[in-house]
Amino acid sequence: MASVPNNRFKQDEARRNADHVSFLKHKKYRYLWIALLLSIVSGLGYALIDQEPRPNGGSWYGYTLGTIGLLLIVWLSLLGVRKRKITTGAWSLKAWTSAHVYLGLALIVVGTLHTGFQIGWNVHTLAYFLMLLVIITGIYGVIVYATLPASLSSNRKEMTRAQMLEALTALDRQLESAAQPLGREQSDLVISALGQDVFYGGALARLTGAYPGCKTNKALKGIGTASAAEERVHTLLTKRAEQLGQIRRHLRIRALLEVWLFIHIPATIALLAALLAHVVSVFYYW
Amino acid sequence: MAFLIRTIDFTASGREIVRDRTVDAAAVNIGRAAENDIHLPDLAVEQRHVRISDAGGGMLKIEAVGGLEFGIDGRSTMGADVDPNIGAELSLGSSRLAISRDGDGPVQIVIKQVEKDEGAGDALQNFALASALPSKRAMAWVFSLAILVLLLSVPIITHLTRTPVENDPENITEGQVLFDAAWSAGELSMAHHELEGNCEACHVTPFVSVQDETCLTCHEELGDHAKMPRLKEGMAPLSTGDAIQWSIAESLGKEGPLGCVSCHSEHEGPVKLEASDEKFCADCHNDLDTRLTDVAFGNASDFGKKHPQFRPQFFTAHFDKNPKRVSLDKNPKEMSGLIFPHDIHVSETGGAARMAISLPQYGAPLECSDCHAEEEDGVGFAPVAMEDSCEACHSLVFDRAGPNFRNLRHGDVDDLMEDLATMGRGSRGSIVTGRDRPGQFARGGTYYSNFGRPMSAYISINRALEPTGVCGECHIPTMTNGRRDLTPVNLPDRFLMRGFFNHKEHGDDVAECSDCHATDTSKEATDLLIPDLESCRDCHLGETAVKTEEIVPSSCAMCHGYHTPTMPWRPEDHPKLPGNGGSDSVAAILSSLRR
Repeated sequence: MASVPNNRFKQDEARRNADHVSFLKHKKYRYLWIALLLSIVSGLGYALIDQEPRPNGGSWYGYTLGTIGLLLIVWLSLLGVRKRKITTGAWSLKAWTSAHVYLGLALIVVGTLHTGFQIGWNVHTLAYFLMLLVIITGIYGVIVYATLPASLSSNRKEMTRAQMLEALTALDRQLESAAQPLGREQSDLVISALGQDVFYGGALARLTGAYPGCKTNKALKGIGTASAAEERVHTLLTKRAEQLGQIRRHLRIRALLEVWLFIHIPATIALLAALLAHVVSVFYYW
Repeated sequence: MAFLIRTIDFTASGREIVRDRTVDAAAVNIGRAAENDIHLPDLAVEQRHVRISDAGGGMLKIEAVGGLEFGIDGRSTMGADVDPNIGAELSLGSSRLAISRDGDGPVQIVIKQVEKDEGAGDALQNFALASALPSKRAMAWVFSLAILVLLLSVPIITHLTRTPVENDPENITEGQVLFDAAWSAGELSMAHHELEGNCEACHVTPFVSVQDETCLTCHEELGDHAKMPRLKEGMAPLSTGDAIQWSIAESLGKEGPLGCVSCHSEHEGPVKLEASDEKFCADCHNDLDTRLTDVAFGNASDFGKKHPQFRPQFFTAHFDKNPKRVSLDKNPKEMSGLIFPHDIHVSETGGAARMAISLPQYGAPLECSDCHAEEEDGVGFAPVAMEDSCEACHSLVFDRAGPNFRNLRHGDVDDLMEDLATMGRGSRGSIVTGRDRPGQFARGGTYYSNFGRPMSAYISINRALEPTGVCGECHIPTMTNGRRDLTPVNLPDRFLMRGFFNHKEHGDDVAECSDCHATDTSKEATDLLIPDLESCRDCHLGETAVKTEEIVPSSCAMCHGYHTPTMPWRPEDHPKLPGNGGSDSVAAILSSLRR
């Protein structure tokens, strides 16, 4: 009976250790080595097997690489399904993710060699470039997931998103009353600043952090510090701009963190469609 | 210090109720307990929560009294200094306390209740980039449907519903299938470039590879390398790897290693199909006799190392109707019916040379080109015409008519007899003497004729056709039906029928005629002056030979054609296309090193 808790402890300890290892370093880079091996073997085969009249996706080696590539792509795209299934067992999500990243990188080698460096305006090259697009955005994703969350955290300054919005609302209520003594023109500036949506600006504004049409900044320029009332409004507007700045930095980091998925996912599905067209067309016009 | 505390409540109908009171104290306490200066009946607020006091310099000090934080301008904190002239908003539970002061007036604290923001959760969603971009799912649907419709469905549907058209190389039609250009894996070869927009010309049936039958609708004139069952029997056994490959390919409908497309692979860019390498031929021909025991020709794998002796085609006996192929190793004699010692004619000294020097049209000892005129294509030579090449020395003058000489007509013994029969009409002796006809009918006159037997003509004919006669200089006399005749001249148009040889490529800068054709030692016309294999190997070795000043690495295709094994010089009108240049892939370099 005593051995049961002992085993359990070992199991849990292994689990705890595994929990704190990055998916990139999973099992001492097991999938990195597998991916490297796959790439090197593919490359050596390409270099050493003399395909007449020239290397081509339609040679036996081309079909081999193409089949490996196709299976890899289909499997890699199933990460989206796998991560939605909460399962236990040997195929941990971390192992799956680790393999997804490294085997996805190996796909650059396998896919490129499959083309035989024959590029043209056709469905085959479309599939190839969609694949590259997916891989490149994936590389970007890994990099930003490793680097950006720290800056997202430091930008928060221990505020939640709700608190950021709340802070802005508090400033807005104060501005509302502080602006009472102002003249028409300046009142209008305050109204337009308060009326502008916090999340004003499209995806590009979020990604670049440039909001040229920001009404708060415009109001800041239009309201000076001539009278006490103006000074108060000016100070509140400055605070508002700072609060907006924090929100927008947050938006920018979030956007940089998330934008790759908006290419990675649709391009993956488009790639699966292009692959279907690629394979069917090749054998339809065999 | 004075604090003006204003409480704003709302009635059920939404009307504001404003209550003002002034507290004159050093500090104001805020909390849920009733003894506080500002009493907020809210469970989220501590009994004694916040204390506002004067911090000096017009500033207010706000500090948490209990253990809970409070909000100032939306941020949670345990303590803050605020300038009431600028203002701040203190939040406690659902109450918002706006702190302000006008100049030196009392500090105003306006208390309002905020309603719980129902939309707060929705607002938080705006932090995600998804709120600023179209949904991933929508984009995925749009892109993948566009691809599946435009690049898959449209070509398939238009291919299946097209009206099939017979292929016509003279008048290539545009394809009917839409968007299938997007399926093309690469440009077609130069020869097929006009078919670029007509995929279905070759890709006739869905999921069936391009069939030989389709190729032959245009290339119907193409010769067979050998007939089909024989070609297959002669083929070298496939390596295990190739056998597996082909068994898979054939099970999927490919036509096997002897199908057109196994060599003529397309969509490799605008290139020309290069002649196959030596190995391609040697695979089968290296040991062909082990599989096809009845072939007349020997095995071959490399021109320098393994190639049968040439077997030119010529007449091996007089009066033969057809030429025969005989190996040069058998020291063959050519029975052309002619007598011609090349050595005397090409010698730079001796009678023939003196004669040629004395004649204005030569002015020098004879050269080969004096008789053998190269044809315009530079490949071969025009037949030697007696009148042009021989008659300057070997005169056929037999009579004189006025100022002109009369020549015997060459080429037909009947003509010769006719010509000679007219000879001596005016010079026979008269039958009686002393009595001549008068005028024009007299001897020497225009109408004089001797009607006696043309004895001298018969003698001339017989003498001409004797071995020592004028004809016998070059021809071999014989008898036909009891009449004197000459052995017919039997010379083939071409000696080498299975290999291609171009004299132009072997011009003056490469070799003299006599380097290959042993004319200066040939005493008889029966000497076959076709150079043998060894003499070609002076310069030509196999494909793998090292190229030097003298050695030309020569693959099979230099002389032989796969599709025209019996007439490698055909088709004459085959388009001349520029070459492709060498392959620079690692595999190609390695395989060339292995060779």
